[in-house]
Amino acid sequence: MATTADSPLRPAPISPFRRWLISGRWSRAVVFLILAFFSFAMFYPFIWLLFSSFKTGADIVSLPVTLLPKKWTLGAYLMVMDPTRANLPIAYVNSIIVTSGTVISVLITSSMGGFIFARLEFPGRDYLFYFVLSTTMVPFLTLLIPLYIVMRELNLLNSLWGVWVPSIFSSFGVFLCRQFVYGIPRELYDAAKIDGSGDFGIYRNIILPLTKPILSALAIFVFLGSFNAYLWPLVILNEEKKLTLPLIIARMANRFGGTDYQAVMAGSVLVSIPPLIVFFIFQKNFVRGIALTGLKG
Amino acid sequence: MTTLQDSPSAGGQSLPHLPVARRDSLWRRFRRASPFALIYSAAILIFYTIIFIIPFGTGIWLAFQNWDFITNPKFVGLRNFTKAFTDQYFWLALQKTVLFSVVEISLGLTVALLFALALSQIIGKWQNIYLSLYYLPVITPLVVSLYLWRWLYRPTGGAFNTLLSSLGLPEQPFLASPQQALWAITVVIIWAHLGTGIVLFLAGINDVPESLFEAARLDGAGFWQSFYKITLPLIRPVLVYQMVVSVIGTVQMFEAFFLIPGPGFSTRTLALYTYELGFRALNLGYGAAVSLIIFVILLGATVFQLRRWQIEWEH
Repeated sequence: MATTADSPLRPAPISPFRRWLISGRWSRAVVFLILAFFSFAMFYPFIWLLFSSFKTGADIVSLPVTLLPKKWTLGAYLMVMDPTRANLPIAYVNSIIVTSGTVISVLITSSMGGFIFARLEFPGRDYLFYFVLSTTMVPFLTLLIPLYIVMRELNLLNSLWGVWVPSIFSSFGVFLCRQFVYGIPRELYDAAKIDGSGDFGIYRNIILPLTKPILSALAIFVFLGSFNAYLWPLVILNEEKKLTLPLIIARMANRFGGTDYQAVMAGSVLVSIPPLIVFFIFQKNFVRGIALTGLKG
Repeated sequence: MTTLQDSPSAGGQSLPHLPVARRDSLWRRFRRASPFALIYSAAILIFYTIIFIIPFGTGIWLAFQNWDFITNPKFVGLRNFTKAFTDQYFWLALQKTVLFSVVEISLGLTVALLFALALSQIIGKWQNIYLSLYYLPVITPLVVSLYLWRWLYRPTGGAFNTLLSSLGLPEQPFLASPQQALWAITVVIIWAHLGTGIVLFLAGINDVPESLFEAARLDGAGFWQSFYKITLPLIRPVLVYQMVVSVIGTVQMFEAFFLIPGPGFSTRTLALYTYELGFRALNLGYGAAVSLIIFVILLGATVFQLRRWQIEWEH
């Protein structure tokens, strides 16, 4: 539609502005501006977060509030990074341990499961797969109290193991990888089999490299889910030194009657950094991954 | 996938002259199966036994008991369930859950769809840049978002009230008011989840063949007409998927109501009620019963939605 307006049959005495108006391109521009406004609105809270984290404790509660700090300071950051005054550094280590453990285990178990349920034959295979899939029908909330009791029996309370154990396998990950392995030509598997490879060798040398695209998408979601998890770590962990980052932020937000704003702000910025890094590194996989997996809600 | 018909006959055909082979075939199939697969299967079975079967069974058993973690569990029959139906706090929590869920989903998905439509008009680099901006709240840990919003919502000195009064509008109590707290939280959650909806809708819209829009345009259809007649029917699977997943997500939403609650019971949903029964009031039996009711509600809602929108599940 733009081409007809750009190359009119006969040159008419028409101003560039009017031509632009008639061409209908302005509607794109309006859409663009509206989107720009809303993205600013969506980003607005983060601007407050960022600027406030550089304020002093008095500045942050002074009235009237201003967006920009009256005096820029790194005091809040230094405070929350100081292991003697805040447990944020320890929580960082805890979160990294749990998250990397979860991501690694889910990637391994999912890719293995995808291969096994898609390509290998053994009795009861499909029953087992549908059972694994059906577990997603029961909401986590329903399992919360009894799972806590089971973890208590296993002596996993108040330990990072207890946070990690329920997420070793992911039925969603297994399902996703199985779908993906179905797309890999069967001949590859058969050829390797004839060449004398064992099933584990085939998984290691053929399936694992080929499932990389889906695994990188899965990794992002597992990372975010595990890093941002709140309810299960809340139930399992108790001791201040064992807490993960979201729990520490919540504790900081509620200590001193919930007035320790600048510590919460600085802590929040620091906690948001790892997910942001992961997002910007894997941005391409991200959008494709969401479309591929249709995950998260 | 094997159908019911061909699976038994396929085995029989390959071994036509061995009529007794059926009895030990299961064992043989096990012998023939690769150890890799069997070890994995054993592991995943043990895992789901510990993480799913035992807890789920315990949960069902617990729902018929009275237990406070200390004394011995006492069997009470259906009393926990009958209690739920006469418990005004349960109904209040259910009401809050449904209100939150319905408003969050209908508003959230509508806004996400509008954003996706607008974004689909922008092609190239800027589409991705906008998409990343809208996706930021999804990536940010929810805990961070919640405290950030609580801080912005502060009745005195909060950023929103500063904005309102600078526009000459009356200041609002937001989270401090029983009437507004639930909606204040709903806005936060819509904001936090909007990016997911936009990305999924946009992927759906981008999948619609351009030739369809071209044809509609030639037939004189306007933007909204082609949206109703082409885009909407073609992205219906995405829409239904999102609704199903959002119902499951919103009913289980916990952090928001736990971390930035409104006064009194104004924002106590079923998720929070379950947690409080289990870990605060130590009324484990009743908590388990309530959580089973949540399961039934969610199952019903999911089945209802899938039936209503008649989606064929194929994978």
